Parts: sequence; C-alpha cells; structure tokens
Amino acid sequence: MVNRLRKAALTGDEIFATGMRDQWHAVCPSDFVARGDMKKIRRLGEDWLLFRQSDGTLRMLADRCPHRGAPLSQGQHLGDRVACQYHGVQVDGGGTVVSVPGMPGCNLEGKRLVTSLPVREVAGAVLAWFGTDPDAEPAPLELPERLTDEGISHFLCYAEWKAPWRFTLENLLDPMHGAFLHRESHSMFGGETSAKFRIRETDRGFFFEKTDQRGVNFDWVEFCRTGIDWVDLEIPYPPTAGPGGSFGIVGMGTPIDAETTAVFFWRYRRVEGWERDVWRFLYRTKLEERHWVVLEQDRTMLEAMAFDADQAENLYQHDLGVIRLRRLYRAQAEAQAKSLQEA
Amino acid sequence: MSLYLQPRQSGAAPTPYERKLAGAIEEVFGTGVHHLEGLVKGLNALGIHSPGGEAWTTDTFTDEIRRMGA
Ligand code: FES
Ligand SMILES: [Fe+2]
Repeated sequence: MVNRLRKAALTGDEIFATGMRDQWHAVCPSDFVARGDMKKIRRLGEDWLLFRQSDGTLRMLADRCPHRGAPLSQGQHLGDRVACQYHGVQVDGGGTVVSVPGMPGCNLEGKRLVTSLPVREVAGAVLAWFGTDPDAEPAPLELPERLTDEGISHFLCYAEWKAPWRFTLENLLDPMHGAFLHRESHSMFGGETSAKFRIRETDRGFFFEKTDQRGVNFDWVEFCRTGIDWVDLEIPYPPTAGPGGSFGIVGMGTPIDAETTAVFFWRYRRVEGWERDVWRFLYRTKLEERHWVVLEQDRTMLEAMAFDADQAENLYQHDLGVIRLRRLYRAQAEAQAKSLQEA
Repeated sequence: MSLYLQPRQSGAAPTPYERKLAGAIEEVFGTGVHHLEGLVKGLNALGIHSPGGEAWTTDTFTDEIRRMGA
C-alpha cells in the first residue's frame, strides 16, 4: 500500500479564499525558472515546486516528498528528476518515484505519488491546471486572442500584492476608479467623473461598460472565462505615445494564498512595422515607468483595504460588475465544495 | 515571504542616448504628428540625430528603431 496526500475536502469558504479549482491559472513569468533550475512557489494556498528539466520542459510538482514529506524544493536538480535532500528519493517531472537509493527495488519505485500539474507557457508566463482530481484531464484552454494575434504587440508586467485575489479582480471590474484613483496619471486624466454603466452578456462572460463614454478613460472591461479567467480592457494613450491608438490590458489575478495575489498585466497595442518598434522602444524607455506608477496606485489602495472591507459596503450602480463577479465566484466555490464532499 | 515588485521588467535600463531620443520622439508625437516622414523630419529639426551623428532618413530610422525596440 502507498499513501498519497489526501486533504480534507475544501469548504466553499476555503475555495473562495484561495481560488477556484478545476481551471487554469497563471503562475509566474516563464523566466522565473531557467533551464536546469527549480523554484519553490506558493499558489492557491499550497506549496509547489517549479522545475525546468535540462531539455527545457517545465514541470510543476507538489512540494512534498512521497517518502516522509520533506519539501522537494530543498532537493537537487538531476536534469529530468529531483532528488529529495532528506533520504535521496528521486521523483521525475510527472510525479513518479524513479529511484529509492537507500532501498533499491523498494515498492515505491514506479509509482506516481506526487501531484504534477499540467503546465503551458504562453506569452511569457507559466499557466497551470489546478484540478481537484489529479488524474483527470485538464479542460480545454482558450487563450486571450490579444496574446495570440500577430498584429498585436505586448509586454507582461508581473507583480505580487498583499491583497486578496478577489480585490484585485474586483478592481479590474470597476472602471470608474480610473477617473478618480488614477486622475493624476499619464493615461486617465480625461473624461467625466460620473457615468451610467451597463452589463452586456457575451458567450464567454460579460462586458461592464459606461453607456455614455468610450475611448476617453478606463470606460469598459470584458470579463472572460475560457478555461482561464481574465479581463480585457482598453485605455487611451496621450498623443505623445504615437500611432496605434489605445493600449489594452489582459489582466489575471492568481491567489498565492488567501491574503496575497500574483497579478499579471499584459499591456498590449495593435501596432505593426515601425509603429510597433517605436511603441516597444518608448515602452522600454518611458512608458513602462509611467504604467508602473498607475499600478502602484492600485496596489497601495488594495493593500490598505481591510481584509473584510467587503463586509459592510453600500454599493451603487457602478458596482454592478463587482456584484456580478462575486456572485459568480461565490456560487462556483460552493458548487466545487459540494462536489468535493460527494467525491 | 518577500513579494515581487520590480518596476522594470522589459529589459535593460535605457542608455542616456536612448532616453534623449525617446524624449524627442514623444515631443514630435505630442504635436500630433504620427506618421513616419513627419517624425523623421521632426527629429532632425530638433537636432536629435542617429547614433552615428547623421541626420535621420526614414530608412536609417526604421532600422535603428527596430534594433532598439526589439
Ligand atoms: S523525505 Fe524525501 S527521501 Fe525521505
Ligand atoms: Fe487601477
């Protein structure tokens, strides 16, 4: 008999706090793990080992040795496997024990005892499937078209914020903060400070948008569920940013734990040829810094909010997007908890 | 746990020349001129020349900016 870690089924509250299961999440920038390197990383409240084999393939294992539970991340990279530091047990990228040096022929050998998450690398980031059943196939993943379109250029900006993941997503579903929190910024100084919003359904989520202003400030956002959850939004640049019109953001927020979030912002622009080259040059020399200042305004606000800030609110029409998002995640967390309990 | 907060993620910090060129490009764009010929003319009028010191042509500019924007 072998033991595999079985945790008590997560409750709805726990899932709501640490993130939805049975979907893809962005994990970190690809260049966090060089060839032949390992990195310990916490996501959705659990510890993982990211491990890039010497052939370049990236693997993501639960950070727990199947022998006596030491963290594999303290072990040694052996090219296509990891050797635990404690007693030398070797685990390959798929989670199978390939050698027990202290007891050759031991019955652990050949058994898949460590959870290994399916991973993909997309637009400079690692994505992983966080399934509740480690043996089930991941659901199909449809990538944000802004990241795969040849005519669109993008940069990934990655950061870690001391704020619950739900705050980071709610912030993106709240376009009106652009005209206030970001009034003093390179991109969101214009437009009205009052607006009327509407929700517009799509087959993959919904738009939350101003009915009376577009293309002036942060005026609309689309929330999308395509095997991974993301938002798309657009904000105008001032004339100094040159040809190509507004920039957009594909945004994601992945729980590190209940209080901390890994945020991903792909800033993109529809530019080709010399316009693309100039935008990329200006981004590197000037714009990245200004975009960062805006992001810091968000971070400062969200980190300063009480953990239970959403427990005594008085919402108005501008918060319909936030309400919609919460309802959806709350219901999904309960549904996932229920199916885990029944499993 | 130390949190990752790195303002510069797109590559090496710009050189003084790149900063100067970027400032001039923004200055020209800021006047509403967004086409290539106008930009090149504007840069030359500001006296911001190629790294070799010559006035820009559309060809030298697109070559250089492709390299610097990569
Ligand atoms: S705990 Fe890893 S080899 Fe013993
Ligand atoms: Fe913001």
